[in-house]
Amino acid sequence: MQAFFEWMNGLAVSTAIRESVWFYTVDQAFHLVALGIFAGAVLVVDLRLLGRGMREQPIAKIAKDAEPWFIGAFLVLALTGIPQMISNAMREYYSEFFWFKMEVMVVALIFTFTLRRKVAMAEEGRVAPIWLKMVGLASIVLWLGVAIPARLIGLFT
Amino acid sequence: MLLFRTVFEWVDTFESSIAIRESLYVYPYLLVAHVVGMCLFVGTVAMMDLRLAGWGNNSSPLSQVQAKLFPWQVLGLVLSGITGMVLLYGQPMRYYGNIFFWVKMVMMALAAVNAMIFHRTAYRSIAAWDTDARPPLGARVAGASSLFLWGAVIICGRLIAYNWFE
Repeated sequence: MQAFFEWMNGLAVSTAIRESVWFYTVDQAFHLVALGIFAGAVLVVDLRLLGRGMREQPIAKIAKDAEPWFIGAFLVLALTGIPQMISNAMREYYSEFFWFKMEVMVVALIFTFTLRRKVAMAEEGRVAPIWLKMVGLASIVLWLGVAIPARLIGLFT
Repeated sequence: MLLFRTVFEWVDTFESSIAIRESLYVYPYLLVAHVVGMCLFVGTVAMMDLRLAGWGNNSSPLSQVQAKLFPWQVLGLVLSGITGMVLLYGQPMRYYGNIFFWVKMVMMALAAVNAMIFHRTAYRSIAAWDTDARPPLGARVAGASSLFLWGAVIICGRLIAYNWFE
């Protein structure tokens, strides 16, 4: 793993990013814009699962509408995240926050596309409200577990 | 700008302002809370804007998206607003001299004006187009403008950390 991060760090493109005055900054800015959209796509569904937000709409419809924005925003987050990771690979490698974020992200993604998706798309009334709430809450906690350490990577290194 | 400068310089001398500035942990944790608040605020605003623009969430009537997400938008605004004001309080002179800070403030004001105009125009006839997947032009422009302006607010907010023009 360390060799892989050293390799990323040594790539010509990583050096180019490090030497550019504006690339990293602008990349980070768009990463945050995508985060805003992503948070919205996550929250409309999770709030509804919690019995709040758009309560009068069926969960499955809200979830279906939100999915393309979830996927689209995630792709932008990944595309803008990769340059940050490779150009700073050794800082990331030694950052506990980075590893925490990545591990929780994998769990959150699997959770979102399996259990959460199944529960959100289920026929109305098939899943007991308490389970809907558990899933909504778990999703919010998981994504917070990605976003919060992410902000801390750059602050404590 | 002289008034701003005077106030900012004055706050800069407060003991509590200096304490925030010099603390090791308060500042980073405020930044984290500011981002979490932003996620709640911009996230729920963006979902409403997408519906307004006719780009997303079209299965739900706009009135539902707007009214039911409103309390969450307010909560997000309160969280990011309060943490933002404390951040400003802790380093007033840093922000005073930063062009991105001022552009961010202007973009926020424009976003507020945009929302106000929408409420006084297209929103009045909402009953007629509440469930339309393609709202009237005025609503679509308001939604797209809001997305653009809040995007600009986030971008400027991030750029404040990099003082290119000082």
